[in-house]
Amino acid sequence: MPNKSLAGKVAVAGVGTTRYGRLPEYDPYDLGIWALKEALADCGLKIADIDGVILNRIPDYQRFCELAGLNPSYTTITPGHGRFSGICIQTAVALIATGMAKTVALVYGNNGRSAGDQYGGATDIYGSGGPGLWFPYGMTSPGAFHALMAKRHMEQYGTTSDQLGQVAMAFRRHAALNPQAVMRDPFTLADYHASRFVCEPLHLLDYCLINDGGVAMILTNAKRAKNLAKPPVYIRGFGQTAKFTGSTFPPDDYWAAPMKKVARSAYGMAGAKPADMDALMIYDNFTPTVMFCLEGFGFCKTGESGPFVENGRLQLGGEFPTNTSGGHLSESYMQGWALNVEAVRQVRGECGARQVKDANLVQYMTAAPVITSMIYGKEAK
Amino acid sequence: MSDVYAKPLPPIDGLNAPFWAGARAGKLMLQRCLDCAQYRFPASRYCPSCLGERSEWQATSGQGMVVSYCGFHKAYWPSFAGDVPYDVVQVRLKEGVQLFSNLVDVPRERIKIGMKVRAHFDAVTDAVTLVRFKP
Repeated sequence: MPNKSLAGKVAVAGVGTTRYGRLPEYDPYDLGIWALKEALADCGLKIADIDGVILNRIPDYQRFCELAGLNPSYTTITPGHGRFSGICIQTAVALIATGMAKTVALVYGNNGRSAGDQYGGATDIYGSGGPGLWFPYGMTSPGAFHALMAKRHMEQYGTTSDQLGQVAMAFRRHAALNPQAVMRDPFTLADYHASRFVCEPLHLLDYCLINDGGVAMILTNAKRAKNLAKPPVYIRGFGQTAKFTGSTFPPDDYWAAPMKKVARSAYGMAGAKPADMDALMIYDNFTPTVMFCLEGFGFCKTGESGPFVENGRLQLGGEFPTNTSGGHLSESYMQGWALNVEAVRQVRGECGARQVKDANLVQYMTAAPVITSMIYGKEAK
Repeated sequence: MSDVYAKPLPPIDGLNAPFWAGARAGKLMLQRCLDCAQYRFPASRYCPSCLGERSEWQATSGQGMVVSYCGFHKAYWPSFAGDVPYDVVQVRLKEGVQLFSNLVDVPRERIKIGMKVRAHFDAVTDAVTLVRFKP
């Protein structure tokens, strides 16, 4: 568990996002630099102020830093897997807390739409077991991996397609209020059911988008953050646990055990509980992972996420407004990064028509072989 | 039939070669750690449970249970276009090892989580026999 004394010691000073969608004239370096410029402008810092750089999904750190004019004291680069957004942010906290860096830029660039990325078929490298072994049986794609989990959850607990549809519908309604979102047309449950199956029981509308875009975040110590252009958004708590053993196959517990560990860490550090969260940002690669997080982090009991998401509970105005930007399903597939930025913007009160009233604590969480969570707060403690 | 088989084939050489050789001979072979007795697949030099390096391949029961299944409506390879919708099953063998595979002779609507299955050896080409399952 992270040291409780770290709570509120590091803050998000600046955030930046590009347009999302199809941006064929921008490569991942361009998308990263565009986002970084936005984040610098957001907090009023300059490139020379950045002394730590953490890159994600950008092909090469040397080329990126050469193009961006960066000569930091600490540099690292991470693979383009969504679980790494939380990992990177936590690494930045550690660098700042230990004094290894004072001001860290986290930069993400994704040209997956223009590059024609496919998350299934011959180029599929999802998971750890060498998926080529399963191609002869037609097994491929993260979508199928989550379809297996969804099917089992349905048989085990009675979760329904209607309930998965409620999650997708809620996020689309939020996207309709977000000018930056790629998919903004609300749909009905009938539209959801009419959307084709990709891998049954999951419909097309259970899947995240594939698009281009970039995101950047600038973190610094709380003291310095107070003197910058925007009010600091404090990192109040976080946690991380991996479940790599056996991870070629879906976990029997939908990652509940590691999520409980992460929840204890994040809530313990923040001195808060699930009911204290004013908004949730849940890594929605597919709708079932939203359900698994709600159970694993203790928002509802094991197996009860289906009924829990009914009656607009995840919608703006509901008990736990979730993915107020539209998330990966409807805003943009920025692999967790844009959800962390949305958390920051909610806490700052910058979200316009989709603003949650008095968003003092906002939690990010992800369900995957690496589970992470971040709790952002308006106050340092 | 090998000259018309267009679907992806597994690499049958390398560490997993005994698995594929076993399948051709109608046996479900798994690598077993000689230090901690855990079975494992895919093959690896070191045992993921105890990091032991000593192992041997053993013929196993071929019996297992369907943990879950999903139905592909999208053909990720043109060679699967004629099969959609088709189902992939996640099977847990008695020995604890899991596999992704398909069921044979089971209509889609009859697939059930928890159903007991046994290995069925499907010679899709002269060189490759896939391990599928039957009730």
